[in-house]
Amino acid sequence: MPPASILVAEDQTDIRDLLVLNLKGAGYDVHAVADGPSALASQAERASDLLILDLMMPGLDGLEVCKALRARGRSAPILMLTAKSTELDRVLGLELGADDYLTKPFSLAELLARVKALLRRAELLRAAQADARDRTEAIRNGDLEIWPAKRQVRIAGRTVEFTALEFDLLLHFANHPGRVFSRAQLLDAVWGYTHDGYEHTVTTHINRLRSKLEADPMRPEVILTVRGAGYKMREAPR
Amino acid sequence: MSVRLKIALTILATGVVTALLVIATVLMAFQRFEREVTFQRASAFLMRVSMTYADVLEQWRRQPGPAFNAWLRNLVLYEPDTQLYVLAPDGTVLASSGQARLAPGFRVSIGPVLATMKLAREHPGRTPFVMGDDPERMDADAVVAAEPLGERRSAEPSGYLYLVAHRDSGARWEALRSSFAVPSLVLIALIVAFASVLAMLVIASITRPLQRLTAAVSTLSERGLEAGSTADAAMLLPRAGGDELGRLTAAFEMMLATVRRQWDALRGLDRFRREGVSNLSHDLRSPLTATAACLETLDARWTADEARAQDRALLEVALRNTRNAARLVQSLGDLAKLDEPEFRLNAVLVDVDELLGDIRLRFAERAAQRGIALRTEGPAADAQALHAMVDVELFERAIANLVDNALKFCPRGATVTLSARRAEGGVEVCVHDDGPGIDATELPHLFDRYFRGRSSVAPATGEGGQGLGLAIVKRIVDLHGGKVAATSAPGAGTRITWLLPARGTSFA
Repeated sequence: MPPASILVAEDQTDIRDLLVLNLKGAGYDVHAVADGPSALASQAERASDLLILDLMMPGLDGLEVCKALRARGRSAPILMLTAKSTELDRVLGLELGADDYLTKPFSLAELLARVKALLRRAELLRAAQADARDRTEAIRNGDLEIWPAKRQVRIAGRTVEFTALEFDLLLHFANHPGRVFSRAQLLDAVWGYTHDGYEHTVTTHINRLRSKLEADPMRPEVILTVRGAGYKMREAPR
Repeated sequence: MSVRLKIALTILATGVVTALLVIATVLMAFQRFEREVTFQRASAFLMRVSMTYADVLEQWRRQPGPAFNAWLRNLVLYEPDTQLYVLAPDGTVLASSGQARLAPGFRVSIGPVLATMKLAREHPGRTPFVMGDDPERMDADAVVAAEPLGERRSAEPSGYLYLVAHRDSGARWEALRSSFAVPSLVLIALIVAFASVLAMLVIASITRPLQRLTAAVSTLSERGLEAGSTADAAMLLPRAGGDELGRLTAAFEMMLATVRRQWDALRGLDRFRREGVSNLSHDLRSPLTATAACLETLDARWTADEARAQDRALLEVALRNTRNAARLVQSLGDLAKLDEPEFRLNAVLVDVDELLGDIRLRFAERAAQRGIALRTEGPAADAQALHAMVDVELFERAIANLVDNALKFCPRGATVTLSARRAEGGVEVCVHDDGPGIDATELPHLFDRYFRGRSSVAPATGEGGQGLGLAIVKRIVDLHGGKVAATSAPGAGTRITWLLPARGTSFA
């Protein structure tokens, strides 16, 4: 199996060179560009397995590159580098299509860990999607029906809209009813992150899931809290 | 009581008093007029009697008693409310036309008798009136007239003819009411009411600018000097006229303009400072990233090289310091972001207790490594869940900073407890440790920016050691409209309490 290919788009030469040096050192096939348009051109030509984009770049910035790539339907994971913490929510809301982000200053070890996690997650996702495509049957839990292939959820026969991440989180719970997951485990399994300080995203998403799933989100009955351990989905009632 | 009401009441009271005085004066004038008319009529009547019957006294002497009395009664037959008496020179009633039986030797005071004759003599035709005794009703005076009897030229009359015109006061009131008083009373009341309404309109026009001025001032005090409120207050201001209120308004407007100018200047300065910090933090990120990445690369390369062991030790110092600087830069940037007036919480309703459990889980490994027991103490299992509106990310960051601090400063074997309970007006979240505690002199400054507390303890890495961790906590608490307080005693641990307002309410 050939090494994974990575596209680095970063306008600051020092950082770009260091990234290339270390990613090559870690055994990846690295290609680097200095601005947004070149990143788009390169991706069209080479179709790298993973992109590392700087948020602030001349020409097209990272978000715009992200949007353009998503519009073309490319599914390679994107790791966004940003110096602007104010943009985090938007980047991370994934409405713009980034899969993960790192704020400058970051450590190289962390960057390499994220790259590894993202590639692994992309692999898992491909497998899961292949798996889901084959699963035309619904996962049922009480009046909850989840159709993995169609990515559709019905509650008591009524279709409810979920964002991609909410759906992935729900599917993860539904695939393992009764099993308890800590926030860190969910972050790893669903988001593909392995780092500390981001668990609140899980809380936020569980909150949103509950507001859509539960009759009374204040007294959840589907996604249950196990104090001191984490969260689980109720076991399907017989 | 508002000034407007006070003035209105004053005017109303003045009007009523005026009306009463006017009515009393009118009544008195009417009474006086009536008495004068009565007196003139009585005098003329007496004059006629004395002209016609020059020998009244003689007649009485001839046949005193009922027959004479009947003759007297005949004289006043056509004079209503009038009684005629014959008096001795000292005022003793000798004969009377009235039915009432008088005590023998009954006397009326002689003063008025003499006065009426003097009046008739000195001001003929233009007489006022005289009040004298009424033998039939001694409790009230009546209009009287008198005419001397006996020898016409003698200085000492041998008796008097005495006339008492006693109008029944009830009848008089009746006459007043029917002929004169009622329409005038209504008129007077109408005039007073009209004057009062007019006065109130005038007062309203005077106090309206005052009310608007008050509204403008209270708009300012409610909303502070935030953008827009000064313009709103200025809009509420009345048009400045030339009077005292107009000058007050103009002065207020000028003050508002001055305050607004200074406020804008301050805000501009504050924005400049915040943006400066934000930009600095931003600009420092890339060089710090590059530096740290270089050092890390070198470190990775030298790991395997035994000969580089000493160099690697130096490298580690450089890397550690670079990372501390990077964290500080990040905290500064975050604090600047939280300080932005445009910053809005992304608040959702969450179970605080559940969140604390998750935070404990997140720090469990680190606490275990440091030999510190980290536990949560929730409400009783049957208690209602503790829901509150919080920004999950910021709430977790604040609690994480507090836990981080506690873990840093507590020795092995200590216990750090996270707890939440329902408190008056909201939810109280508490981070408690039984560590070394904080000195009383440091406690009041704990949440101040750049205050480096716990100076006796070696500075730690991360936010806490840079004097920004607790400032960020404070800012997050403020953004949530809550309150944070720390209690501690050296050796007895530290308790930091965050009172989160219940849904939607604020303690501010």
